[in-house]
Amino acid sequence: MHARHFDVTVYNLRYGMPLAAFFLLFFITPLLLLVFVSLHNDTAVSVFGLGQYAKVFGEGLALRILGDTLWLGVQVTLLCLLLGYALAWAYVRSSPTGQKVLMMIIVMPLLTSVVVRTFAWVVILGRQGIINELLLGWAWIEKPLRLLYSREGLIWALANVQLPLMTLPLITTLQRLESNLEDASAALGANAWRTFRRVTLPLSLPGVIAGSLLTFSATITAFITQSLVGGGQMLFMPMYIYQQASALQNWPYAAAISLVFLVAVIACVTLFSYLGRLSKGYTTT
Amino acid sequence: MDISRRRIMQSALALGALQLFPQLSMAQARNLVFATFTGSWEEAHKAVLVPAALEHMKDANIILDPMISVDQISKVMAAREHPPIDVMLHDPGPALTAIEQGLVEPYPVADSNFYQQLMPEAQDPMGPSIFYQIVGLTYNPETIDSPPTSWMDLWKPEYKGRVGITNMNSTLGTGFMVELAKLHGGSDSNIDPAFELLKTLKPNLAAVAANPGQLASLFQQGQVDISPGNFNAIQILKARGVPVEWIAPKEGAIAFKTSIHIVKNSPNRDLAFALIEASMSPQVQAQLMEAPYLVVPTNTQVKMAGEVASSLAKDQAEMKSRFLLQDWKVINQHRAAWIERFNKEIQV
Repeated sequence: MHARHFDVTVYNLRYGMPLAAFFLLFFITPLLLLVFVSLHNDTAVSVFGLGQYAKVFGEGLALRILGDTLWLGVQVTLLCLLLGYALAWAYVRSSPTGQKVLMMIIVMPLLTSVVVRTFAWVVILGRQGIINELLLGWAWIEKPLRLLYSREGLIWALANVQLPLMTLPLITTLQRLESNLEDASAALGANAWRTFRRVTLPLSLPGVIAGSLLTFSATITAFITQSLVGGGQMLFMPMYIYQQASALQNWPYAAAISLVFLVAVIACVTLFSYLGRLSKGYTTT
Repeated sequence: MDISRRRIMQSALALGALQLFPQLSMAQARNLVFATFTGSWEEAHKAVLVPAALEHMKDANIILDPMISVDQISKVMAAREHPPIDVMLHDPGPALTAIEQGLVEPYPVADSNFYQQLMPEAQDPMGPSIFYQIVGLTYNPETIDSPPTSWMDLWKPEYKGRVGITNMNSTLGTGFMVELAKLHGGSDSNIDPAFELLKTLKPNLAAVAANPGQLASLFQQGQVDISPGNFNAIQILKARGVPVEWIAPKEGAIAFKTSIHIVKNSPNRDLAFALIEASMSPQVQAQLMEAPYLVVPTNTQVKMAGEVASSLAKDQAEMKSRFLLQDWKVINQHRAAWIERFNKEIQV
């Protein structure tokens, strides 16, 4: 008798079929539909043509809003990186009880709704809010500062809202670092700053890349916080798409700018992944 | 009987899958879905209109689904054959869009008891108007000593950094810009004067709200002290103790008629008809006119009384003369271009 051998090192594709079908039906098909709708010249979706893309690249407004949104993402990610790294560092170097408390503080915002957190920022940054009341009480300023509906206020609010996304990957990476390496560096005569710059930071780069990627993606699509804390004067891509689709019923144009946005985000993600692959070189010992 | 775990799993899955096909389950009276406006209108309708309408319906239920006009249109357009909403409430601009897109059914005027009692301006066979929204100036009486009297008061240097406006996505924002233009030589089709004025308003602006609801909350937080505002929108704030007052500027307050429509292909046409009849009836309109709702009635049988009469107009005739009406057919044609221009010019 001849026993049938099947290769145990290879997974049979047919087990992935149900999920692939689900993916195809509910993800790929709507995306293709979006591309189809964007290739029409008029709002009634009847005339085929590339007019919408000509409008996006010809008229500067959509590209300017896109650039502004991506720049907001970069600013928030950098701020988040500073705060998140410090927080992760503190976590890794705390006692077990301290770690439990810190983990609860870090994770708790994720368990609360984004809308509630954003409204909390509205209360903090408002004219009668906590910051202004404190500064007025200490007589450091005479009139309340305009913190709400300003770019700085928005960056701080977004950094706080997305902080868990940056901190958690950083904690994972920093925990996996061998402390022997830092001791070795100190033993060989490097001071704390040099150890950090030459040993810890390069070794934690994968976590930095992962956290930055998550924070960047979440920031540029954060519709709620951008509208509530940013107000109507600063227009970003999510609100622009919503305005075109809902208020103006201009679905082809909204589809076109959505796809341009999607391509821009994919380009950024690819860039991050490329940096991630470069940084892997540091971690292989 | 042998109950195995496999059997139970199969039965549970089958029952769960049945939820995906509601038509298979026993036929029940579908609930009437009424998309009303968010905020004070939702509260007013929940308290007054829905109970009044339910008196005439047996075994029916009315569900309120609060949404702004443009979102209602999006939802119905996405599912024309089986609309998720049965009765829509619309501002004048979106109402014209809805009628053009064929989303509404003509109202059965011949069967109606109250249609003929409405003001002539409020009668429209595609959707009668059941109230007017009035836009004037809202201000904080505690921080502003002398109440404003004119639309141009927003430009006064003493209000630097205290003025709020909304963007042109909403009827409030568009109506304000059109009115501004008309006062300075523009018209319903040309609002260039308003854009020029907007440039000079920028130093005074404290915030540009993303929607009218946000504008109301700005008063609450003390971010703005004066803004164009809806008469009804502040009633909720007043009821909660926020210091805010409304005033009709001397040039006139802007009035929008708000219309109610039966959605095409709705399975509950009779219930929708009963609801709209109730909304037009003098009893409901009189009740809504009283505090705290202060909704302006369109039925001529309702005698204007109370705060509506003292703040706005003593009767429908005075209303027609004191309120400024705008031609939304013309406005709709230009609105998209204006919103784009507003986006560009409002940026800091």
